[in-house]
Amino acid sequence: MRIDYKISDKFDFKIFIPVTILVLIGLAAVYSSTLNNPAAVNNFEKQLFATIVAYIVFFLTYAIPTNSIKFISIPGYVLSIILLLTVLVIGRKISGAKSWLAFGPFGFQPSEFAKIGTILLLANFLTRLNNNIDSFKDILIALAIGFIPIGLILLEPDMGTSFIFISFILIILFWKGISLLGLFVVLSPGLVAVSSLFGSVPFVASLLIVLVALFFFKKDLFFSGSVFAINLAAGFFTDNLYNALSPHQQARIKSFIDPMSDPLGTGYNSIQAMVAVGSGGFFGKGFLQGNQTQLQYIPEQWTDFIYCAIGEEFGFIGAMIVLSLFLILFLRLLNIASTTKDEFLSLVVVGVLAVYFTHFLINVGMVIGILPIIGVPLPFVSYGGSSMVVNMFMLGIVMNIFRTRKNYA
Amino acid sequence: MSAVDFASVNRKSILYGIIVLVFAIFSVRLFQMQVINHEIYDEKSAGNSIKPIEQIPLRGVFYDRNMNVLVDNIPAYTLRITPAYYDTSLNKVLDKVLGVNPGFVQSILKRNQIYSKYIPIRVRRGIDFSIVSWLEENSEFLPGVDYIVEMQRGYPYGVMGSHLFGYTKEVSAQQLEKEKDYYKPGDYVGHNGIEKQYEKDLRGEKGFHYVLVDSRRREIGRYKDGQKDKESIKGRDLILSIDGDVQKVAEEEMRGKKGAVVAIEPSTGEILALVSSPEYDLNQFSYITSKDFLEELYSDPDKPLFNRATMSLKPPGSTFKILAAIAALDLGVITPSTTIYCGGGFTFGRFFKCHGSHGSTNVIHAIEKSCNTFFYNLIYKIGLDKWKEYATKFGFNQKTGIDIGEEAAGFIPDEAYYKKLYGENWPRSIMASLGIGQGEVSVTPLQLAKYVALIANDGKTFKPHIVKGYLDNKSGEIIPYQFEKIDLNIRKEVFDIVKEGMYLVVQGAGTATHLRNPDYHISGKTGTAQNPHGKDHALFIGYAPSENPKIAVIVVVENVGFGGTHAAPIAKKMMDAYLLKDKLKNQKTNTVQPVIAGAQVED
Repeated sequence: MRIDYKISDKFDFKIFIPVTILVLIGLAAVYSSTLNNPAAVNNFEKQLFATIVAYIVFFLTYAIPTNSIKFISIPGYVLSIILLLTVLVIGRKISGAKSWLAFGPFGFQPSEFAKIGTILLLANFLTRLNNNIDSFKDILIALAIGFIPIGLILLEPDMGTSFIFISFILIILFWKGISLLGLFVVLSPGLVAVSSLFGSVPFVASLLIVLVALFFFKKDLFFSGSVFAINLAAGFFTDNLYNALSPHQQARIKSFIDPMSDPLGTGYNSIQAMVAVGSGGFFGKGFLQGNQTQLQYIPEQWTDFIYCAIGEEFGFIGAMIVLSLFLILFLRLLNIASTTKDEFLSLVVVGVLAVYFTHFLINVGMVIGILPIIGVPLPFVSYGGSSMVVNMFMLGIVMNIFRTRKNYA
Repeated sequence: MSAVDFASVNRKSILYGIIVLVFAIFSVRLFQMQVINHEIYDEKSAGNSIKPIEQIPLRGVFYDRNMNVLVDNIPAYTLRITPAYYDTSLNKVLDKVLGVNPGFVQSILKRNQIYSKYIPIRVRRGIDFSIVSWLEENSEFLPGVDYIVEMQRGYPYGVMGSHLFGYTKEVSAQQLEKEKDYYKPGDYVGHNGIEKQYEKDLRGEKGFHYVLVDSRRREIGRYKDGQKDKESIKGRDLILSIDGDVQKVAEEEMRGKKGAVVAIEPSTGEILALVSSPEYDLNQFSYITSKDFLEELYSDPDKPLFNRATMSLKPPGSTFKILAAIAALDLGVITPSTTIYCGGGFTFGRFFKCHGSHGSTNVIHAIEKSCNTFFYNLIYKIGLDKWKEYATKFGFNQKTGIDIGEEAAGFIPDEAYYKKLYGENWPRSIMASLGIGQGEVSVTPLQLAKYVALIANDGKTFKPHIVKGYLDNKSGEIIPYQFEKIDLNIRKEVFDIVKEGMYLVVQGAGTATHLRNPDYHISGKTGTAQNPHGKDHALFIGYAPSENPKIAVIVVVENVGFGGTHAAPIAKKMMDAYLLKDKLKNQKTNTVQPVIAGAQVED
């Protein structure tokens, strides 16, 4: 085994540099959007502190022995579930969701931490399967690993994060090699659940499509019946869940179905976000010069709507730079995932990629008005300590895997 | 289906494709929003956060010809309601506090329902300071209720001028529709009189201050430190031709009477005074006019809102004899020495009586004595159409075009008119009455004023007008407005003859000898317009000094009888006020209090 002592062989600058630029842009945007805002005093300082902590976490994770990643998968998952249960009991309620655990002046979101636990355990489980996952039992176990945290997060309730979980679990399963039927079994309940939100007609129609598909797969009656029952249950579960949701979340779902239905209410953020981005123009209004941002047209812009501040103050150029940095990051992660020989580590890298990508997709899509308002932060850019630390922790894992990639035959 | 698909090239390509596709879609969308449709969003963004605040300029004031301030602006408190934040259960409380009839506030809110509920509605102007303090004390219980300081019209010289100045009121929905570029709901516009006619001069130009507002529309500060602000421009201060003292005298003299008075400077056509009586109190219009006040004015049988000076149509009576005399002399159908015998009347089909037997009379004495017989005869010599031609020359049968709007044209008949009415053989006896200004001839007091001015100034004057010009705020110069010149092209000798007659009316053995005075000579002509509905209307036209006319006056007093008795003395008092201004002032300072003279000095 040849050992290359060049630092770039152990440390992937193609990941580290884009992420660091994103972090710096994020800090600038947080500074701009919290300036003169009485509701966000010290937010910039807090974010700066969280960023320093996050980088320390990143380098520590980078340095640990690679095989310890696998060892922490089960305890990490169990700890995640315990924390998610704890937050439901003693969590702090912030904007309608009980998602915060407070430790004195610090607080963090267990659901962020649970992403790591879930990715690791799911990768661990899938690695034990030699072939594609096409047995019903394997699918059920895989789904169970995902659904326990998703269910707990939905109880908070935090729609956005649940959606992220569903997405990255699906991408991990896909990477492992789920069959067409398997993908159908996993995806169909989700599609039925979403259709049920639009009313009974789309709900029934989606069930019919499921029936036709089951007929096409020509499996035995027990299998088909079970899958259909799961679909049916998913639809009703969604309906019950919708009724159990807080009014502000119901309103969000309503505005997802028709965003312009209430321009001053739930559609307000969406419209103001688009106005902010669109009015930025090609070169932007300049740092601290965006009137939408500086006059606080969008509530808590420094969290989920941070991309508005960038689009408004740095314009098309700034917005495109951010998109491009993410593109470089994603393609690089995909490359590492596909070149990593170890199956577990490869699945972990894809899981991390999936988490970043779904956050990016939902967040930017929401800000530029092509996806409904679902509150998820933009990785490395949005304000939020937990998310920053967890994202850098995951990046540390990826970098660790990169460091030792040549150790596996 | 292969058994192991883990991390296959296929699956990598699919993920790669999804990532690149999302990147592409987002890029296109950003390009569309930030480059192609940038301006739409930019406009929305600017509209969002920059709020223009209107700066209402001071309305121009009115000076009289001696630079006394007749109309100015005085600060007043206005109570406003912003319906979006207002609780209608407060209506009753506000009604009580404002001391208005129950339902007043509600009716105002209802009237303004067509506008955005975020626009404050002016409920009442000129509220008392005690109400303002009450508002301040209870502001927390009065959501959506506030007050602002606004300018309202004041009349410091003690001149009513109701039909002259006119009043301002809140812009109507129709006018708003027509001129939405300038006016906003709640703006005040001139509704009649000079206020209306010179609205565009008086209103000035609105300014705008731009302020930044946050998402809750709270003001945060000036936009770009006020660099983009546009300051309002004060309205033009108008210089009226009115003489405040003459106007005041006329108003005092006409108080309690119905009728109209117009005084005019013959050489310029400048109106020195214009009164229509009864008048109404313009101060009432400075407040949000309670419906009651307007209704009261509308239902008053004396019609105070009706501008008698420019709108009321009456036969001119004997004052019209001058016209016939001028026509006859100018046409050459008589000479100054032509005499007509008056035996107490005139027969043409029927008998037309005179008020005496004047014997052989020439035109001068016919005017002096107001001999009907002479003029009965004269109109036949002139001919109806020629007579109308002269009447038209003098401005009858048409609007004078005075600069206060509303005006009637009057009526002068001609042959075609009677032919249409009675056929080819219309009774020529009708003409006799016209010769003495009775019958189917109707004129306005203003037309008569122009007529006297033309006589006094030998057929030359300017279109009657009330506004001379405006004061340039920068240079302090008076910029005159231009008015059309009128020249009848009638020989001066003709005027000399009729003016001698008019001189004798007062100075000779005429019908208004009681106007004679030691200070100056008055020339004039009395008249009595027959009124089929009651007592006759008294008329007087005249000018002074006879030798060099500086003021011409026309007085109409309704339903009182003979012109010499009831109308002429009012004219005399106005002439005194104008011609003996200095003398009268000295008298005042000597006899009353010296302080008053000081108080009248305007800066």
